[in-house]
Amino acid sequence: MTAPANPLRILVVEDEPALRRFLVPTLAGQGYQVLTAATAAEGLAQARSHNPDLVLLDLGLPDQDGMEVLRQLRAWSRRPIVILSARNQERDKVRALDQGADDYLAKPFGAAELLARLRAALRRAVQTEAGDSVVAGGGLRVDLARRDVSLDGRPVHLTALEYRLLEALVRRHGKVATHAQLLVEVWGPGGAGNTHYLRIYMAMLRRKLEVDPARPRHFITEPGVGYRLDLDGPG
Amino acid sequence: MDASARPILVALGSEARALRLIQAACRLARERNAPWIAAHVETTAGAATEDEEQVQVWMQEAQRLGAETRRVRAPTLAQGLADLTRGTRAQVLLLGRSRGRWPWARLGHATADELQRRGLDASLVVLDDPPEAAWAGAPASPFGATAGAFLVLAACTGLAWLLPREGNLSLVLPIYLLGVAFIAHRWGQGLGVLASALGTLLYNFLLETPRFSQGGHWPNLLFFLAMLLAAQLVMGLLRRLRLQAREVQRREFHTASLYLLGRALARSQSPEEIALSATEHIGRTFKAGAWVLFPEGEAWRSLPGSLADHDLPPPSELGPSLDLGARQGDPLEPLPLGGAFYLSLTGTDRCEGVLRILPAGAGGLPPRTWELLKAFAAQIALALERLRWLEEARQAQVERETERLRNTLLGAIGHDLRTPLAAIHGAAGTLLLPDGLDEPARRDLLTMIQDESERLAHLLGNLLDLTRLESGVLQAQKEWQPLEEVVGSALGRLERREGPVPVHVDLPPDLPLVPLDAALMEQVLVNLLANARRHAPGREVALRAWSEPGRLCLEVADRGPGIPEALRERVFEKFFRLPGSGEGGVGLGLAICRAIVQAHGGGIQAAERPGGGTAIRIDLPLPGDPPALPEGTP
Repeated sequence: MTAPANPLRILVVEDEPALRRFLVPTLAGQGYQVLTAATAAEGLAQARSHNPDLVLLDLGLPDQDGMEVLRQLRAWSRRPIVILSARNQERDKVRALDQGADDYLAKPFGAAELLARLRAALRRAVQTEAGDSVVAGGGLRVDLARRDVSLDGRPVHLTALEYRLLEALVRRHGKVATHAQLLVEVWGPGGAGNTHYLRIYMAMLRRKLEVDPARPRHFITEPGVGYRLDLDGPG
Repeated sequence: MDASARPILVALGSEARALRLIQAACRLARERNAPWIAAHVETTAGAATEDEEQVQVWMQEAQRLGAETRRVRAPTLAQGLADLTRGTRAQVLLLGRSRGRWPWARLGHATADELQRRGLDASLVVLDDPPEAAWAGAPASPFGATAGAFLVLAACTGLAWLLPREGNLSLVLPIYLLGVAFIAHRWGQGLGVLASALGTLLYNFLLETPRFSQGGHWPNLLFFLAMLLAAQLVMGLLRRLRLQAREVQRREFHTASLYLLGRALARSQSPEEIALSATEHIGRTFKAGAWVLFPEGEAWRSLPGSLADHDLPPPSELGPSLDLGARQGDPLEPLPLGGAFYLSLTGTDRCEGVLRILPAGAGGLPPRTWELLKAFAAQIALALERLRWLEEARQAQVERETERLRNTLLGAIGHDLRTPLAAIHGAAGTLLLPDGLDEPARRDLLTMIQDESERLAHLLGNLLDLTRLESGVLQAQKEWQPLEEVVGSALGRLERREGPVPVHVDLPPDLPLVPLDAALMEQVLVNLLANARRHAPGREVALRAWSEPGRLCLEVADRGPGIPEALRERVFEKFFRLPGSGEGGVGLGLAICRAIVQAHGGGIQAAERPGGGTAIRIDLPLPGDPPALPEGTP
């Protein structure tokens, strides 16, 4: 592999040797510079001294809760953090996302899925910095600056609330937005807890912006967690 | 009206013979295939003496045996019964009759006659009681009886003294006859004989002319003595008859009490219920408090409710005397201790516990009631024993079931875990061999490793889910939401996993929101759709939903070979695989579906799809209306 002149640095905080053995060569093979840590303390120290471009963080660490590591990292870094979690821990996933994690991967996961998620997270980080106001893909185009929504070239009329929800999703596009994050962003702090509002408006958005609302391509449900706007998939 | 449809009417009071009346009426009603009515007439005369509680018990008993019950108020019994008979168009009126001491019972005779006179359009059936003496006194002490006998004789003598002296035998004799008869009847034959002799002497010395003569008229005296002895003999026999009748009545009461207790015990499902029935019936029959005690180490567990009495000796102390350990003497004999009595509850093979009786009065229980109390204890013991045997049988059944499941689990895991592991292990070994494989072969082995490890992860995930669902660790976090969303995410997940799935989705746009756990219900849909796909590859699967009052129905139907009717319930069991279903699946998918649907309070069934195939239907409860929408909703 030809390493780029200035490779992206990825910090892997994972206590299982078997997973590190799988992750390090996989990532290194893609040209990333890989740092590893087996404990929370080591992970935080590595992050401070090397300021990695992305952190892969396991929630089950021997010395400290991974959630605490996430909180401390977010105190000073805005770089993407992807969580590794055991399956069926929806509550942990939601907590991690609400605490500022960018994405999560449920074990077991394959190399292809891992790399796709990492690329998406890194790309979003660059886009956010650039402050891109137009997103498009799969026939759907949203221009945040001009408040303009179109599907297959035809303008679509949205109500105020529908547009606010779409806007919240677009700002996180490609990334999971939790129910709580969307509720607060669309309805304000008083909206938290009324998840069924969100579901009803999501159904309305799908009816206007999806070809088959029962098989959504763009407005993907993450059961028990939230929604993800996906514009890269087939339209 | 058809005579067979006219009811049988039975008149009930509070006395023990009511049970026989109830049984007779019930039998008659069955024979004639007619309804029957148990009636109680409250009369102003009878109200004071009737045992209201007991009447209630008999009425309930009649109701349990299928009777309709009526209670009426009437000035007289006959009036009330006549009105009832006419009102209900009864074909038969059943009532009891005795010369018993109950006002109700005494009225029976007169009532029957009066009813006959009223010319009712119903046949009158009167059940006679065993004969019973009209007057029953309390047993007196020997001293009191003797004193009483002397007093009666003195009174007779005093009365005779007032009569004219000449030719008085015919006048005096009846007075003494009455006195002696009374004594024999009241206090028994011993005093009767004594009174006869004494009466003769008194007559001889005080009344016979000439007075205080030594000789007297022997024939007269002998006649006098013979008459008195005959009188007391007749009265003694009457007394014995009366006592027998009382004994019969007492036995009838015992039988009735035991019958009622037996009924209550037979329905009891737990030691608590048995103790409650025991307390209630002992309380009513003996007017005494009762507790059932079970030894628990060095303490007693007492039912119903805990005992405030701390003087209770520990099981180790009380045990030996009540056959909790070794049998010493008759274990059924009650043991008096600190004002209470203890009876061992011994069934057919061991002591089940101890019955503690605390009489309400200070004097303890009358000695004659012990016999009945012991019969009660035996019944309670048998009921406890029956319960213990049932529990043991149930336990054995659970153990067998657990054992069977463990074997199936071990078999399934042994096979389903080992197969992919062997493949992965073998492929990795081959890949590590120094002799180079060509690229397509290497890729093939690597793909196989990936597929097999995915299968392992899937199996373990399912096992974990099922365990957590069944143990209650995983609970449904229900939220109101459109079904469409769950269907969408399930289809998305399935397509990412297995490629395009031909599913025809039919969801009406006005489908109501339903409270469900999205993550769990998605799992259900993914399992059902994957099953449908596996059993009917390439054929279209139909997914439709509709709402019914109080529930939302969801159906996933395929065009596969279908499930034989006998196996439609079993497919939801753990590790159950349809015969010939081939590769893939370990028989956990539908078990997980059922566990999840049940966690939502719903139901899941397999049925035949019209036109061939299987339709799995899920019913989810729709409790009331969904929460209101925010302001500004279009």
